[in-house]
Amino acid sequence: MSQLLSVTDLCKSFAGESVVKSVSFELNESSTLGIVGESGSGKTTLVRSILRAIEPDSGTVRYNSREGWHDLHSLSPKELLPLRREIQMIFQDPFASLNPRMTVQTILEEPLIIHGIGDKESRKQQVAKMLEKVQLDSSSASRFPHAFSGGQRQRIGIARALILEPRLVVCDESVSALDVSVQAQILDLLASLQSELGLTYLFVAHDLRVVREFCDDVLVMYSGNVVERGSVEEIFNNPQHDYTRLLLSAIPSPDPDEKLQPLDRKSLLLDAGLTV
Amino acid sequence: MSELRELTPGQLAWLKFRRHRLAMIAAGSLIFLYTIAIFCEFISPYTPEQRNSRAINAPPMDVRFFDAEGQFNFRPFVYDLELTINPDTWMREYEEDASTAYPIRFFTRGEPYEFWGLFEAERHLFSVDPNGPGYIHWFGTDSLGRDVFSRVLYGARVSLSIGVVGVGLTLFLGVLLGGFAGYLGGIFDSAVQRMTEVLQSIPTLPLWMALSAALPAAWSPITTYFGVTIILSLFGWTTLARQVRGRFLAMREEDFVVAARLIGANDQRVVFRHMLPSFSSHIITTATLAVPAMILGETALSFLGIGLRAPVVSWGVLLQQAQNYQVIVMTPWLLLPGAFIVVTVIAFNLLGDGLRDAADPYSSLRQQ
Ligand SMILES: Nc1ncnc2c1ncn2[C@@H]1O[C@H](COP(=O)(O)OP(=O)(O)OP(=O)(O)O)[C@@H](O)[C@H]1O
Ligand SMILES: [Mg+2]
Repeated sequence: MSQLLSVTDLCKSFAGESVVKSVSFELNESSTLGIVGESGSGKTTLVRSILRAIEPDSGTVRYNSREGWHDLHSLSPKELLPLRREIQMIFQDPFASLNPRMTVQTILEEPLIIHGIGDKESRKQQVAKMLEKVQLDSSSASRFPHAFSGGQRQRIGIARALILEPRLVVCDESVSALDVSVQAQILDLLASLQSELGLTYLFVAHDLRVVREFCDDVLVMYSGNVVERGSVEEIFNNPQHDYTRLLLSAIPSPDPDEKLQPLDRKSLLLDAGLTV
Repeated sequence: MSELRELTPGQLAWLKFRRHRLAMIAAGSLIFLYTIAIFCEFISPYTPEQRNSRAINAPPMDVRFFDAEGQFNFRPFVYDLELTINPDTWMREYEEDASTAYPIRFFTRGEPYEFWGLFEAERHLFSVDPNGPGYIHWFGTDSLGRDVFSRVLYGARVSLSIGVVGVGLTLFLGVLLGGFAGYLGGIFDSAVQRMTEVLQSIPTLPLWMALSAALPAAWSPITTYFGVTIILSLFGWTTLARQVRGRFLAMREEDFVVAARLIGANDQRVVFRHMLPSFSSHIITTATLAVPAMILGETALSFLGIGLRAPVVSWGVLLQQAQNYQVIVMTPWLLLPGAFIVVTVIAFNLLGDGLRDAADPYSSLRQQ
């Protein structure tokens, strides 16, 4: 298994406040890395900096493209364009991430047009094929996003991300906004697309049960720092860091009879020498 | 809900707008007014400078269907006016003379005019027999015997178009400067910000006055017209620029815009295909609400004698005649252009309200 992404000492602050503090990690091809942490711990800022949706203050992001390694942040927009094909993102909010004034056909066709792929006819076929892949009716193409449910919209978002045949897909809370049953459907879909296309996922989530099910490795973030990294088994069965234990203690037990006993957050944090 | 699914965003907005009764009425009135303004040469029975020496300061004439005996006439008519000089006050007083009726005719020949300055014509929508001695002054006449109705219609063309042209210019400046400020940020943003602050802190009326007074009196009417329009919009764009800038800043971070950038869209595509369309409805609303200010601005300047000047006919120029107390008491019909201004301003405001509600068709759908 070869490495796909290598992040070193990535830092980002907003108005003097450090949000991502010197984060480093590697990501292997065709694996799924979960990023967990409480709200405000900097997960979104981290992944958006990696994607260059926001410019980080310092640090390097190296990506192993089909043509070799690239430092994403030293590329000009023009040089970056071909790499955009390989790295895509699925958003959290299926309402906000689709342009309400475009039909599904236009939304899905746009990436192909930007990258100069195919002609009108072949693009149409590609869109139809993609819709089928994410299990949407082919009549969806002519409709506007408002005509779909949350789960269906998220499928449109997935289709848009995958139509360029990327290798790395960043999912920022991509199932958090959905009902539990729809969540399961979307996760199934993502998993089957992964095995079919050999995708690599960077999977941000705050629901640890989802992470446990879906990811190979986990990165635990706490106020901008990576406090622990390991395989799902290691992290869930033998957490090393107190903050990880705190997070794990907040998962409700699948057994409804067992009483919910979250650890006392404050004492734990004090023990660990962390500040709230 | 199931039919709603097949609608385009535009159709959804229209559905919502249609439910707004007052806005629909306002839209109807404005369409009516603008149609009149477009065809003013044809609709008005006289040309604006045509004088009727037999009816100086004549009051509005009633258009009647029933004659003095209570007989119904299918063809409407007006009675002749009889002029008497009041021996006590030496004032001209007009009284209807029920013995002479002038029936109204449609598509009559009258004073020749140039439609839009393009081709000559002499048909008017209505008038009385042009070969007879009769006349029709629906809104009365002024001190030179000019037909107020015709002048109001000609004035509508100037006043209503100055609103639209001015707002068009305002939009152009506001969207361009505000858009670049919001999208580029940095020095350009600061410069535009400071400029709007300075412009907004200057009281507009004195500044308008100073600038208009600087317009050379020798300019032709058409040049003055554009001069005044430019002065009005030079100070109108700041509000719009601020709004556009704010929206650009907010929208730059919105998911669907980020999504567009992540699929590789360049700045141009992001701005023109994603950002501008999604607040075009807000721009239209703001523009609609800005038209009355333009119209009132023109009226104010012309009323003060430093905007448009005769022989240009605008509602403001017409109101200039009604500046003194005597006129208001003796010939109150010269205030009629003011009524048109009021109706237009209210209609634009109501229309703007309706558009604002319809602008975001998703807000209410999401709540349902
Ligand atoms: N554009 C921005 N300007 C200023 N501060 C920001 C900006 N974006 C994020 N922040 C701040 O950075 C911190 C981390 O935000 P971030 O969205 O990365 O957290 P997160 O881990 O994704 O949280 P969540 O689980 O709620 O999505 C927050 O305190 C947030 O207020
Ligand atoms: Mg987030």
